[in-house]
Amino acid sequence: MSNIAGKAYAMSVITPIRWYMAWINKLFFWIAQNRSSTLKGLITLSLIHYARWVVIGRRQFPHLHPQQPKEDLRYSYMLFFSNFNGSWDQYVDSFTFSIPSGLDLFWKWNIRYPNSVPLTPFHEYIRYNQIETTHYYSAYPLASSNDIKAAKKVRQALLDFETQSQQAPEQFMQGYQAMLRHVQNDLGDMRPTPIVSMAANQVEKRRRRDIRKEHERLAALREERKHA
Amino acid sequence: MTKVLDLLDIQGNVIKAYGRFSFPCARYLLLRIHHGERGRAFVAAVARQVTTAVTWGDGPGQMPKPSATTNIAFTFAGLQALELPEASLRGFPPEFVMGMKARKAILGDNGPSDPEHWDPVWQGEQVHVFISINGQQPEYLEQRYQWLLGLIAQSEGGVSLLHGHCGDNGVADLPYQPAQALPENGKLTSKEHFGYTDGIGDPVFEGLPGPARRVEGRGKQTDKGWEPLATGEFILGHIDEAREYPPAPAPLSLARNGTYMVYRKLHENVGSFNDFLDREGSRYPGGREQLAAKFVGRWRDNGAPLADAPDTASKQDWDRRFAQAAPAEKDRMLSAFTFDHDADGAKCPFSAHVRRINPRASLQTTPGAFDTPGALANRRRILRRGLPYGEVRDQRRDDGNHGIIILMMQADIKRQFEFVQQQWINYGNDFRAGNDKEIILGNHDAEYPSRAVLPVAQDSDQAPYFLRNIPRLVETRGGDYFFVPSMTALRMISEGSVDPT
Amino acid sequence: MPDKSGNVYALTILSPIRPGRLDEVAYADVVRSRLDAWNFLENSPMAKVPQTYLCRYFVLDDVFTQSLAGGDVFGPLFDFLSIFSDRARRRALPREDHLKSKYLVFSCNFHGDLDNYLRSMWLAAGNEIRHAWEFCYAFDQVRNADDFVAYMKKCRLKASLFFDGSNDDPLEEQLKALYLKQEFGKFVVEHQGLPAEQLQQAYREFIARAEPANLAGPSWHPGQYRLR
Repeated sequence: MSNIAGKAYAMSVITPIRWYMAWINKLFFWIAQNRSSTLKGLITLSLIHYARWVVIGRRQFPHLHPQQPKEDLRYSYMLFFSNFNGSWDQYVDSFTFSIPSGLDLFWKWNIRYPNSVPLTPFHEYIRYNQIETTHYYSAYPLASSNDIKAAKKVRQALLDFETQSQQAPEQFMQGYQAMLRHVQNDLGDMRPTPIVSMAANQVEKRRRRDIRKEHERLAALREERKHA
Repeated sequence: MTKVLDLLDIQGNVIKAYGRFSFPCARYLLLRIHHGERGRAFVAAVARQVTTAVTWGDGPGQMPKPSATTNIAFTFAGLQALELPEASLRGFPPEFVMGMKARKAILGDNGPSDPEHWDPVWQGEQVHVFISINGQQPEYLEQRYQWLLGLIAQSEGGVSLLHGHCGDNGVADLPYQPAQALPENGKLTSKEHFGYTDGIGDPVFEGLPGPARRVEGRGKQTDKGWEPLATGEFILGHIDEAREYPPAPAPLSLARNGTYMVYRKLHENVGSFNDFLDREGSRYPGGREQLAAKFVGRWRDNGAPLADAPDTASKQDWDRRFAQAAPAEKDRMLSAFTFDHDADGAKCPFSAHVRRINPRASLQTTPGAFDTPGALANRRRILRRGLPYGEVRDQRRDDGNHGIIILMMQADIKRQFEFVQQQWINYGNDFRAGNDKEIILGNHDAEYPSRAVLPVAQDSDQAPYFLRNIPRLVETRGGDYFFVPSMTALRMISEGSVDPT
Repeated sequence: MPDKSGNVYALTILSPIRPGRLDEVAYADVVRSRLDAWNFLENSPMAKVPQTYLCRYFVLDDVFTQSLAGGDVFGPLFDFLSIFSDRARRRALPREDHLKSKYLVFSCNFHGDLDNYLRSMWLAAGNEIRHAWEFCYAFDQVRNADDFVAYMKKCRLKASLFFDGSNDDPLEEQLKALYLKQEFGKFVVEHQGLPAEQLQQAYREFIARAEPANLAGPSWHPGQYRLR
């Protein structure tokens, strides 16, 4: 298992909510979706690629076959999926430090939600209800959400500059410098992420060792076949 | 309500940067405990001379300032050797239990900073005890040191002093790490070997003695202005910024008024620094000295912050005002700046030291987005102590004996020191700078050559300047994580009376 | 519709797993180890599926009964009622809920529309999908891309709130932009301080090599985690 794919961390949390309170949660989500200012804090945190909240009614778990027993649940459930950059602690902490009221608004209606401040009970609540990812894939393990947004800006700047780049050298220089000013804080180098936890370090070491072993095995196999 | 700290219970080095209280020289000793009972007797004897945080004064009933100070702290292995109850030991956080060497992947201690290259004193048998002595004069330091040697001798093998700190000429047999403030033109300064003034912006928290004005620039930036940080960010057993007591081992009396200390011996590659400064300074439009200021966010001569004095012209103006200012105003000018009017880093670059270790309110890039403007910085602050060591005999060489011993105090090593080291010094995503590292402290290596941008104002006609192939300017040469107990806890530890039940 | 934000789609799939066993291993655990095996391949099979930004797989064994201390919207009311009745006190304690099936959870963020995505997923990684979903209820009836689309839609849960902290460009554009950001960053530092004419010449060569407008030209490939 691994919750980590390069610079992204996959968090999945499932929490119960009284079925007759689920609608109020949905209402707040609806407001958040339709009023941009609600998510200003999230955008400013800039640690998230994509996140979603899914409320499953207690009778809404997928039922596909007559032989599949129907779920009989007392509560509805809220699933939270986030793809964020940095370590678990950094993410959870950043949330409680910067947008505690926003967190409370979304989770308040869940059973035994302890509020986002103080920190320790909130940490425990998330840990308690978090499910580890078995397989996590990112199309850009070397990039954070910030890198992707910056990259879009850089590409656009290069495309816009295309016409100017044919001018006389002096004008070119002026235009080039103006373009650099425009993207000066978007050119940060991208490299593999620093190890976010000791456990991640172990997983990465094991993974490298296993990949190496597999390569050695295949090489030996090829060698064998050659001689056979 | 004003919080009052029990200064007689807190060790003095937690509250005071001794260097600033005219204790310009220090010796840092590392010891090993061989026998629980004799070890505890030794700790009891040291405890009687441990300097508390009490405010010194010459008035009636006041504690006079001592000629030398003594403080003590323990690694996890040290607390084990002193036979703390298992239930108390298990309450310590994992990073403290593991110690600094085992955290090297998190801290970026790789290449020349890898623990295998650390001073011999950190190799082999584990360090148990840290004792620091600071002196007003070298002779007081020596007296206190001799006293301590006496206690070690009296311990009948209960404790031993570990040798193997590296000194001059690569000889690594010193029984202690010497450190002292650097002189300039015959006067002692707060500078380190690269020429920067150190430790100006130490955090101010509730209960810290001192004039209220010091909170400006050193506390937290709120919507109402500057306020002191919560005590629990730095001292255990007090409410922190999340309105809770920091996680701590049981019983309460073991943890309360204690803290964690990170010891790091950082070698400074003076030759590489000067070469780099010459190479880039000859091309950088602002010139060599302005470039040096861009590395750190302060000018080298007097510590003027780039946020308020970004170029030569504004620096002259700043200097003029500084020269005329009263001491209190001088202090304010050095500390009370913000990055509120420097959103794109045109004044103080995002990779500059002061911006990386304390971004103040600048990570709230949209006004009003967060609960409080300093939300992302307030829980990452660290009290910084320590002094430079060695001297630079050749400005063109890296291999001399010169660097700084930095001692960092905080309630949570992982959330504070380790986070800053990993996410803000050796990585740049929070500053939207990709993997770009802090210029001075970053663990730059040749395999992935580091760069950093020095942005310019959008309305200027200049181009931003890019630093390239930044060399490793600072290397770790030793260190560990220590628990700094309160005076009460120290007595309990030495009596063997810690009881978590 | 909150499953979509602009052109980025948040897909949440819960597929119930049958209760059987393979030898002495429960189906749910077989699914888990098959997914885990993907972690040791050179890259995830999902790298082959066009337009996949990020996705995760895990098995949901059960929901969690809330036993930690915590707040609750109805807390004060229950507290008050419990003075009068021990039954009220007990009723206020969180109930125990259990799922009757285990679920294979697939959570994915991609660019474009659902039908196209699922179809291309089947075409690109059909073998791996069959392998992962083999033990889910009714999956034995899935024989082609159309079946798969229909099946997945039955397993789909709608999001109540979807947050896009990145952008919704097609994956090739995101990857091209990342490539350009990295390459242009290098170009800028390597050519800093050149006279206008030389710089212009070098810039033209850079553009000819990097081809900012050409998505089929040099770029990062999906899932790339090494720089060279």
